Amino acid sequence: MEELMRIEGLKMYFGGLKAIDGFDLVINKSETLGIIGPNGAGKTTLFNAICGVYTPTAGKVTFEGREVQGTPAHEMAKMGIARTFQISKPLSGLTIFDNVIAAAGVHEYTGIQSYFHKAHTPEIEDRAEAVIREVGLADVANKKASDVSLGYLRRLEIARALVTQPKLIMLDEPCAGLSNFAINEITELVMRLKEKGQSIVLIEHNLPITMKVCDRITVLSYGKKIAEGTPDEVKNNKQVIEAYLGEEDDG
Amino acid sequence: MFLQQLINALTIGSLYALTAMGATLIYGILGILDIANAGAYLVGAYLGWYIYYGTGSIVLAFLLSMLAVGLLGILLQRAVYSPILAKPHTLSIIPLVAAVGLFTMSSDAVRLICGPNSKAYNLKFPVETLRVGNVVILPAWLMIFALTAVLLVILWFILNKTKLGLAWRATAGDAEIARVCGVNTDTAMALSYILGYGFAAAAGIMTGILYNSITPALGEVPSYKMLAIIVLGGLGNPMGTVVAGLIIGIAEVFLSVYTAIPIPKDAIAFVVLIIMLLVKPDGIMSRKNKV
Amino acid sequence: MSSAYLYSILATATIFTLLALALNIITGYAGQAMMGIAAFFGIGAYTAAIITTNGGNFLLALLAGMLVSGIFGAVLGVISLRLQADFLAITTIGINFVMVALFNRLKITGGTLGLTIKKPVLFGVKMNNTYFFYMTVILIVVLCLLLGKMRRSWFGMALASINNDPGAARSFGINVSRYQILAFTIGTAVAGLAGGVYAHRMGFISSSDFAFVVSIQAVSMVVIGGLGTLRGPIFGALLITSLPEILRFADDYRELVYGLLLVLMVRFMPEGLIGDDSPVWSALMKLWRKFVPKKKTRADLIAESVEGGR
Repeated sequence: MEELMRIEGLKMYFGGLKAIDGFDLVINKSETLGIIGPNGAGKTTLFNAICGVYTPTAGKVTFEGREVQGTPAHEMAKMGIARTFQISKPLSGLTIFDNVIAAAGVHEYTGIQSYFHKAHTPEIEDRAEAVIREVGLADVANKKASDVSLGYLRRLEIARALVTQPKLIMLDEPCAGLSNFAINEITELVMRLKEKGQSIVLIEHNLPITMKVCDRITVLSYGKKIAEGTPDEVKNNKQVIEAYLGEEDDG
Repeated sequence: MFLQQLINALTIGSLYALTAMGATLIYGILGILDIANAGAYLVGAYLGWYIYYGTGSIVLAFLLSMLAVGLLGILLQRAVYSPILAKPHTLSIIPLVAAVGLFTMSSDAVRLICGPNSKAYNLKFPVETLRVGNVVILPAWLMIFALTAVLLVILWFILNKTKLGLAWRATAGDAEIARVCGVNTDTAMALSYILGYGFAAAAGIMTGILYNSITPALGEVPSYKMLAIIVLGGLGNPMGTVVAGLIIGIAEVFLSVYTAIPIPKDAIAFVVLIIMLLVKPDGIMSRKNKV
Repeated sequence: MSSAYLYSILATATIFTLLALALNIITGYAGQAMMGIAAFFGIGAYTAAIITTNGGNFLLALLAGMLVSGIFGAVLGVISLRLQADFLAITTIGINFVMVALFNRLKITGGTLGLTIKKPVLFGVKMNNTYFFYMTVILIVVLCLLLGKMRRSWFGMALASINNDPGAARSFGINVSRYQILAFTIGTAVAGLAGGVYAHRMGFISSSDFAFVVSIQAVSMVVIGGLGTLRGPIFGALLITSLPEILRFADDYRELVYGLLLVLMVRFMPEGLIGDDSPVWSALMKLWRKFVPKKKTRADLIAESVEGGR
């Protein structure tokens, strides 16, 4: 298996709060890796520290052999690391189609030169349309993002990540707050991406889904890795069971 | 000389603190920059003047003016600000424009109703001046100190020792969570406005007494200066506002007396503000350290 | 109304249209709370005026005003990156007051006496209000064409993304800081250009021409017309500059009515009178569609393709 990303000794402190405290992980090419953990375990913080939203306090992140820790988020996106947000961040005033177009321009945002390049070219529109059909947003393509439901917004998050043609896609709880029907649709979508050989990191609170789609699972608790392995190994790990039972609110 | 200037500076500073307190309380809850607070300051000063000349009692003037302007504040909050904030995707500049409109209206309404000329409180104190060694103290200064202190203690008491204050602090901390926990955020908003506008009215009357003159342009300088003060105080932090008000009072008096900076007195607050934001973008006493 | 008087009003209206369009680049397109645009209007005005009163060429002076204002704007843009939206609003107000204070105190800007500027000669013609009006209209048309092109470009897409959600914008490769600084630079440069034209059209400038009130007026124009559109600021500027003429019958109540208008507008129509989602504009578009059917966009075609298939 070929290594895509390696995280070593990652630390993310906020003042005295140790949100991530020495985290190691290897992500392989074409692998679907799950990150699970109780609420407040630091999953989203981990994403933010990897994707450049935060600058990690310490540690090393290597992507395709290059050290990338501390690189700003927009540079990470250009390198081929795409992420979705747990709390959707739609461009509310734009149509769904234009939301996807905006993300398709990932390599076009070069500053003043970008003034001289038209956004809606046939090639870009074709790419956006293909992704929109893939994730099931076609019926709302001409609607404003402010006018569609949460289920569509979650898919929009995935669509915007996919249209950047990422080498690694990082999904932050794509199913949270959705109906069972919508969850199944998202799960199927992730399975399809997986079959195409897409490298995926998935944060998910819903254990059955994670067990179903992931090749490997890492368990995070209080900013530390407490277990890692195949879904079956993790399921029977004593520490994992404790971490989850110790948590009152299992959303 | 130095001590004289210091006392002078502290008087002005405490007046600034009181003037900006309203904007701070409102920002703390609604997150809007309410320039119209300076309108409350102006209207309060005029109402106070009419009540003082109607009844001859300065105490009544303070109480009734503060109450009336406070109620006006609640009315504006209900009729203008809350509906604007209730609309989705409101740009931060939109409520500010509403506040500017209200302030413009209040200044012009005062001019139309009360006339463009200045009015004097001509408040008589038992003594003309007090002398402590070389230092001259005007009784108006003492009154301002005392009243500001009393009002701030009342504010502190309300915010920290009452149920209303708990609701205020909870809402200022995180309105969503407060609502989920059953705090009546509406009450907190109303409290912000009645206290905020009431304090502004008191500050207006004190300014009128201190300079013995009120004009329809009275609110102009405070309208922007109080913005600088509330930012310096960490936006929405009442304690920080007191400190910031005093700092600006001191900076104004001492910079204009002891240095030759080419900046007029009223712009000094912004010079201090801009320098401070360059050094510490969160304000000197930021309450929340956002991560 | 004499035509000379009409042209004097029109010259003022078009210069303020230019200023409103400048502000709209920063606040409407890039979503940055700029409350002190008059400072940059002033920087452009004084720069251009100082150059021509010292014998410089009028057009070069306008360019210089644009450049100097843009440089100041870029610096502010860099500073603003550190600030939250509300801090930025207040800081820009502060810059407005500090600049006015400097205009009023510095020797080079004529201090309290202000600057008197000779009417410039352009292509052998001495400029009067009529020529200033035509000149500004040309500037507005050129600016609108450039802004139209911007909105269709990746640059425009970047600003729209930042305006809607900076976090999302970063996640698909947009260097938010860089684009914010660019928007500040371009917007303040255009404001500087408007200032240069203003100074020469007025023939006399002093610090009060660039007071905070002027910034508020510019904000009102943009908000009343409709933030983030091209037509909004133009309409807003024309409306507000002609308001004193319209309200002539109520001269004494002008400020009161002006304030009331602002409050009513943002209370009931925060999208602006003819902004994208405003009732007026929606109705106008509906009427228009009766005569000119809407050209289907790619997004419409995609949506229809599945609705038909179901």
